[in-house]
Amino acid sequence: MSTEGGLLLAAAVLLPFVGMLIGMLAGGRMAQRIAFVVMPLGLAVAVGIASAWLDGSGPVVYLLGGWSPPLGIALRADGVAVAMMLAVAGVVTGIGVFALADFGTPKGGAESRAAFSYWLLLLAVWGALNLVFVSGDLFTLYVALELLTFAAVPLVCLTGSGETLRAALRYLLFALTGSLLYLLGAVLVFGAYGTLDIAQLAQRVQPEIASWTALALMTAGLLAKTALFPLHIWLPPAHAGAPAAASALLSGLVIKGSWFLVVRLWFDAMPGVVTWPSAQLLGALGAGAILFGNAIALRQARLKLLVAYSTVAQIGYLFLMFPLAFDAAAGRIAGGLALSGGIMQAISHATAKSAMFMAAGTIYSALGHDRVADFAGLARALPLTVFAFGLGGIALVGLPPAGGFVAKWWLLSAAASSGQWWWALVLMAGGLLTAAYVFIVVTRALRAPGAPLVIAPVARLSEMAALGLALVSVLLGLLAVFDMRGLIAGRPSMGA
Amino acid sequence: MDRSLLLASVLALPLAMLAACLWAPWRARILDLLPIAPLPGIAAALLAVGAPPLRLGYGAWAPVLALDLVGAILLGAAALLWALAALYARIYLRGDGDAGRFGVAWLMTLTGCLGAFVAADMITLYLLLGLLTLGACGLVIHDRTPAAWRGGGMYLALALIGETCALMGFVLLAAASPVDGLLIRDAVQALPGSPTRDLTLALLVVGLGLKAGLVPLHMWMPLAHAAAPVPASAVLSGAVVKVGIIGLMRFLPLDSAMPDWGQALAAVGLFTALYGVAIGITQSHPKAVLAYSSVSQMGVIVAVLGMGWSVGDASAAVSAAFYASHHVLVKGMLFLAVGLVAATAAPRLLWPLLAVAAVLGLGLGGLPLTGGALAKYAVKGPLGDGLAGTLGKVSAAGTTLLVLHFVHRLRSFASQQPGAVAPAGLWWPWCLLALASFVVPWALYLSVPGGTVGDMLAPSVLWAALLPMLAGVAAAVALQFSGARLPQVPLGDLVRVIDAAVWRCVAAGPALMRADTLLLHWPVAVLLLLATVLGFGMMLFGGHR
Amino acid sequence: MTVETLIALAACALVGIGLYALIAHPHPLRKLVGFNVLGSGVFMIFGALARRGAAAGMPADPVPQALLITAIVVAFAATAMTVALLLRLIESTGSSALATEPPSGDGDAL
Repeated sequence: MSTEGGLLLAAAVLLPFVGMLIGMLAGGRMAQRIAFVVMPLGLAVAVGIASAWLDGSGPVVYLLGGWSPPLGIALRADGVAVAMMLAVAGVVTGIGVFALADFGTPKGGAESRAAFSYWLLLLAVWGALNLVFVSGDLFTLYVALELLTFAAVPLVCLTGSGETLRAALRYLLFALTGSLLYLLGAVLVFGAYGTLDIAQLAQRVQPEIASWTALALMTAGLLAKTALFPLHIWLPPAHAGAPAAASALLSGLVIKGSWFLVVRLWFDAMPGVVTWPSAQLLGALGAGAILFGNAIALRQARLKLLVAYSTVAQIGYLFLMFPLAFDAAAGRIAGGLALSGGIMQAISHATAKSAMFMAAGTIYSALGHDRVADFAGLARALPLTVFAFGLGGIALVGLPPAGGFVAKWWLLSAAASSGQWWWALVLMAGGLLTAAYVFIVVTRALRAPGAPLVIAPVARLSEMAALGLALVSVLLGLLAVFDMRGLIAGRPSMGA
Repeated sequence: MDRSLLLASVLALPLAMLAACLWAPWRARILDLLPIAPLPGIAAALLAVGAPPLRLGYGAWAPVLALDLVGAILLGAAALLWALAALYARIYLRGDGDAGRFGVAWLMTLTGCLGAFVAADMITLYLLLGLLTLGACGLVIHDRTPAAWRGGGMYLALALIGETCALMGFVLLAAASPVDGLLIRDAVQALPGSPTRDLTLALLVVGLGLKAGLVPLHMWMPLAHAAAPVPASAVLSGAVVKVGIIGLMRFLPLDSAMPDWGQALAAVGLFTALYGVAIGITQSHPKAVLAYSSVSQMGVIVAVLGMGWSVGDASAAVSAAFYASHHVLVKGMLFLAVGLVAATAAPRLLWPLLAVAAVLGLGLGGLPLTGGALAKYAVKGPLGDGLAGTLGKVSAAGTTLLVLHFVHRLRSFASQQPGAVAPAGLWWPWCLLALASFVVPWALYLSVPGGTVGDMLAPSVLWAALLPMLAGVAAAVALQFSGARLPQVPLGDLVRVIDAAVWRCVAAGPALMRADTLLLHWPVAVLLLLATVLGFGMMLFGGHR
Repeated sequence: MTVETLIALAACALVGIGLYALIAHPHPLRKLVGFNVLGSGVFMIFGALARRGAAAGMPADPVPQALLITAIVVAFAATAMTVALLLRLIESTGSSALATEPPSGDGDAL
């Protein structure tokens, strides 16, 4: 049955897409204006869904057309979905404000094609992400995943240069391969169990050859789209080549979509199929990402590439929660402190990484380059931006009251209680490596320059937007003071 | 006024001043305002001991502030040093274009330092430690010389490693505590019975001991303290290292007797005490000598804690705190003296300066009737009469030697410009600090019931204090006249090990880049994708057998 | 050997051919064709399952057929986007190679 507030779920998905369609038809400066109308509305809808979930006792459900699964499609929002939707709404708003500097059209001016596309794609990414969070069955998730990819790929080549087009093409082909693997897995699941609805699958799935093959295929396909080591080839050129506002979107939000799908699959659809070795393998790939990505980031001479490789490393953190959530006694994966830690890590990374990319973009437009070795004198010239970058770095390293600290505390507690001390070592080493390159960049900026630094003027608005998101990421942990139901308790999410 | 609110003001005033630093006019005058920041700390140390804990917020993660006797002793001494050093810095940094940045770093360090003495829960303490590290790093790199960058980088790296270990220790501590909360006191009570006791203790000792400068985790101290501007060195060596000490005092279960842990800690402490002296006498820069002296004194304090822990005597912490408070004031005074000497050439000023510095500095070795003698007398009990007591006396002799070496080096550090005189604004904070380092320990001693002046004048006490000092003086004279060349130990001694390790990691970089390039080939990537499928398939299949 | 099994085996062959084209051929257009062949294989498997899962009396289960139509449309959109990107790439750079050099920036930031 549809619950109270269920219609808001459909609204959360439809609103950005309707805005995008109207913007595409209207043209001119309308795309930008419509985006700024949709943003507060979308925030309001997300808050509405959150309050509906807080009032109710289970997930918020909406049955499209009144048809129930397996014939119909159900949209479900549980604690993790609500948290992610709120975070995405907030970050999109912040990025939108920042993008006014790069892609805003002045009064009376003609809107460039890049600006027009950007606002439409921003809305499309938002809508696709909302669909990922609330979908209740595997096929709708496939459609949402493809929507997300189609919206993200043009963002990579927004500038139209040859390098970015190549990067976009590689991204697209690799992502499409991943989607087909995912689809193959979904097909096998349907063949074996007759339904694709997640709640129903949770009850029907048995550990057997069909479900193992399907889970392996789907997981691998999703890992390709999430750019987990060693499948991260497309990410650094794509994220570093895109304009700053687009990189913030790609690194901060788009990655979380396919990651969230892995969470749904492993925790909600097939918890009984997941085994200890497979969870450890996922964690091992995550550890590889953390160590490899951070090490390569340390060797980068350009800031945007440094931040992109830092994203490769931070994605690894998101996958450490899987082995930590595995309850060895019960022999199955269970939500709890590790799940909460992972979600908090995702939200914290979304805000902090967006802020860092925005700061990097401001630096690039001010200096005309982003070579770290030539940053001397930047702290005096662009104090707010360097401060925002430093704050974002602090949030990633994990200092209270940042969300990254709360996530680290929860993950470390899960490691302590399950005795998996090796993941604790990886977490701690990762934090130190992240601090290393943040320190390098910030101290380069603090050095006194040989000759006075010449910078182009930058919009105050973009500096403030970056600073605002960075402050949010640093203060996110204050939310942990309020005991967050559903996240901490890890309530059964998709149980009907 | 509610005494608990006084605890909040210890943090609130510096934080408010820090927030105000966003306004440029405030930042321009920051140096004049710095002495105000630690004043709530002094008030709290005098008035708020034993006040009910202040809880700021609801739920398990709410910050809690409390002040016990040990914290109050250290808080009072540290706050006094911060205030007087700020008055000194006001004149010392006059005309420095980066004074605003200095003030911000100073306030961050001050908040973290004083706050650590009143923090009663783990998360707040961890936050303050982080703030402290960042601020101290800012103070060290202020002059932007190559030595400053190196000192700041080494400090940050090691401090982060220490904080990471401490964090893991906190997590284990919280996990083992049956009470759902993050209060330090409650969690430590459950520690002796916890299944992960040894791992937790090891992590806590490594993490907090690194902040206190225990060998072999001390190498950042000489580099950082020698490279910072003089008033910053004074507070770093005087007050900031005591944060590690207060951490050890609060997190180690000192009231439950653990002989093996306690004696191990005492051994490390005494080794540190002697090591600091040994390396210190090879250094030529007075600030480096003082830094190694701090290393040595921290070792003594930790040894006292260790000996008390091994028998479950919690009052050893009070003795150690008393000793530490004396060190706070004297070390700060000695560092400020370095700055004064560097600006003074006139003999009529130089000689009294050196004399006062020498006399009060020898208090660290236990010169009778100084505050140092009181401190040594207080820790004689916990150290006992066995090996630890003997080594304690050896360390007193060594400290005497080190202080004499310092005064000798200080004399050659005097200004070369004939007739140079340091501004008055540098003199009177130093004089006040010198006076305080004499008066405050006596005031503390006399306020404890049973402590009298007469006790300290007893011949046995005087002789016990003088004997190690005479040994130290004899060693100094012998070294001077024998003309023996001491080995040249580079600043930071063991830091060469870290440098070598870092170079090895950097050399591995190109290999990593080549690996990354390999992964970028399209066929490799897709094959890896298929391999991932197979990998997961096998793990899923195998796990169910 | 029933019809469904035959179709399923053919579909597996298609999947294999598609994957080979994706991995081995350097030209993006060939990779795209490989992607389409791979997609066709997956869809055929889906169709074979529909036939197998049909209830008594019905020739095939309608749900997979509906899902198949959606998937075909998605694949078509993907193909269109890839071709558009490829054309733009050739137009602006004159070559159609997917770059294999690492991103520039192999310097020492330390």
